Amino acid sequence: MTPIKIVLLYQSLLGIYGDRGNAMVLRKRLQWRDIDAEIVEIEPGDAVPADGAVYLFGGGEDAAQISAVKGLKADGHIFEAVEAGAVVFAVCAGFQIVGNTFTVGEHDEVIEGLGLIDVDTRRGTERAVGEILSHWIKPDGTESLITGFENHGGFTTLGSAATPLARVEIGIGNANDGTEGAVQGKVIGSYPHGPSLARNPELADHLLTLALDRELDPLPMPELDELRRQRIAAIRKAGRS
Amino acid sequence: MSELSALATPAALTVTDRIRLSVAIAVGNAAAVTSRLAGKGSGASVRGQILTRLVPDAFPLLLQGRRVLSVSGTNGKTTTTHLLAAAIRAGLGVDATRLVTNADGANLHYGIASALSQARKADIAVLETDERVVSDMIAHARPEILVLLNFSRDQLDRHHEIKALGRAWRQALESAGPAGPTIIANACDPLVTWSAGTAARVVWVETDTVWHADGALCPACGEILQRIPADGRDRWDCPGCELSQPEATYQVAGAAITVPDGRRVTPNLRVPGSFNISNAACALAAAVEFGVDVDTALAGMHTVTAPAGRFATASFGGVAARLLLAKNPAGWAEALPLAQSDPVVLAIDSVAADGKDVSWLWDVDYEQLAGRTVICTGPRAHDLAVRLRYAGVDHRIEHDLVSAISSAGVDHVDTIATYTPFQALLKTAGLR
Ligand SMILES: [Zn+2]
Repeated sequence: MTPIKIVLLYQSLLGIYGDRGNAMVLRKRLQWRDIDAEIVEIEPGDAVPADGAVYLFGGGEDAAQISAVKGLKADGHIFEAVEAGAVVFAVCAGFQIVGNTFTVGEHDEVIEGLGLIDVDTRRGTERAVGEILSHWIKPDGTESLITGFENHGGFTTLGSAATPLARVEIGIGNANDGTEGAVQGKVIGSYPHGPSLARNPELADHLLTLALDRELDPLPMPELDELRRQRIAAIRKAGRS
Repeated sequence: MSELSALATPAALTVTDRIRLSVAIAVGNAAAVTSRLAGKGSGASVRGQILTRLVPDAFPLLLQGRRVLSVSGTNGKTTTTHLLAAAIRAGLGVDATRLVTNADGANLHYGIASALSQARKADIAVLETDERVVSDMIAHARPEILVLLNFSRDQLDRHHEIKALGRAWRQALESAGPAGPTIIANACDPLVTWSAGTAARVVWVETDTVWHADGALCPACGEILQRIPADGRDRWDCPGCELSQPEATYQVAGAAITVPDGRRVTPNLRVPGSFNISNAACALAAAVEFGVDVDTALAGMHTVTAPAGRFATASFGGVAARLLLAKNPAGWAEALPLAQSDPVVLAIDSVAADGKDVSWLWDVDYEQLAGRTVICTGPRAHDLAVRLRYAGVDHRIEHDLVSAISSAGVDHVDTIATYTPFQALLKTAGLR
């Protein structure tokens, strides 16, 4: 069987917050289950494979966002892949560029995004920087806490085709409106950046389940449980520092 | 090129300013003594804070009457400041007391004011300067020399756009005009090159840079930079505008530095790591511009062993630990290859001085430690443990910093720490 492809897009542009971690986590969680997996790193100018199982977008600064959109539109394969049912997980600035529009620069120039998910981003009333805690309703109806670090100046509003990923307990999230992230089909956007999947293994496994279209065995990791316990307690104790 | 023996233009302080400063320094000194007796470190920071509270313009006032050399950049500024100060002291010989430096690495306004307040008569100041203070330094100190080492991601929860800092440097240099400083700049760093672009005069140094991840886009026009192979190494170039890697007059190749007269010199440094050869090349260029000859400067740099505790070895419960500081992914990329012990101790914290966001753990190549054991310590030991689990590196957690070292089970252990645990270890060892 050919390895499951995890496509890590444009790390030189979209990777300022340890976002590579999301790819490393997904690959390892497949390998630990004896499922062959590889990370395909794509830089601007490289052809994007259309047969990836998961496509990952990370965070970047304004000019990098514009370059990334330009490169991916010129290549075009990301649209084929999404059409064919690939999973997209986009964090931070990556969440903004997979949407319809976002703004850059001091004069809030509006830039067309990739339009993979029905959201629009505009300059927020404050910069969101700090740990965030939110409640994600899993497909089975139960709740899972998502912990991470957000750092963004844009506020994102959802159009009718997208639904929020989670409900914010502490932090800013999409627009300080109690919602965090967005889901539309198999495209998921979220603000906690970088290694969000390292701290949130259920979300990581959810992406893999969507990509493989089958249930996965649990992977016990006591030190990860302890890390989650610590971070959730720390966020709740500090509120928003 | 400056004349080393030239004296600074004396400060033109009013009598009132002199009295205000003297009183504030006396109060600050008393507080520093109290702090020291209470075992709270050197007291330099307390002194600086009191001084700048009592005299808010202490920073510009104390800079008057000095010839200033300023050193900034994301990584290596403390070591480079020590190397440069040692080179200039060697050049000054018996007049070495003319020189003052913030050797403790306190590089914000109040830290610099604190150091200057302890040497009112010293007319040459070699000052480590935080990136955020560089613009004020250019405006108030009119430095003769400004060394810009590198510019990479560091504590993004605070500096969410490093480019904004570069823009501020450009404006300050533009305002300074022809009277502005001679810049000693790392030609391999696109953001440094762009930031220095408005300076009246630049001496370029081609360093041996391992970290390129923060230089993907042209800071001037936003195009993706190209890396063109030339003579066995890459040069960067922008396809969208005029910006490209400048020709350097100092070049680092391996352990050697080529100087402007074409000679290849080998600095016999006592601080480890190839990145310190690059730091030494920048310090050398600055010292030469200030009027020190190459050989004297190198002899001076040879005296530097553990700048502000970096690379120092200290004993904890009978285990000798070499203490390495790493504050960001670029710093870790430099420090990890130096740490060869097994086990190795890694200490992580996330208070403001370390950066509150530890996402950077995923930008560091901890995979290179596979086959050895890591002892994870510091308040964010668990974040590191999870990172190491995914990297396939054996590890255990030891919450207490000192126990992490003393329980290592070997005679010698390399220890890499972020800022706060690094300072805590220095303090425990009596090194600060
Ligand atoms: Zn350009």
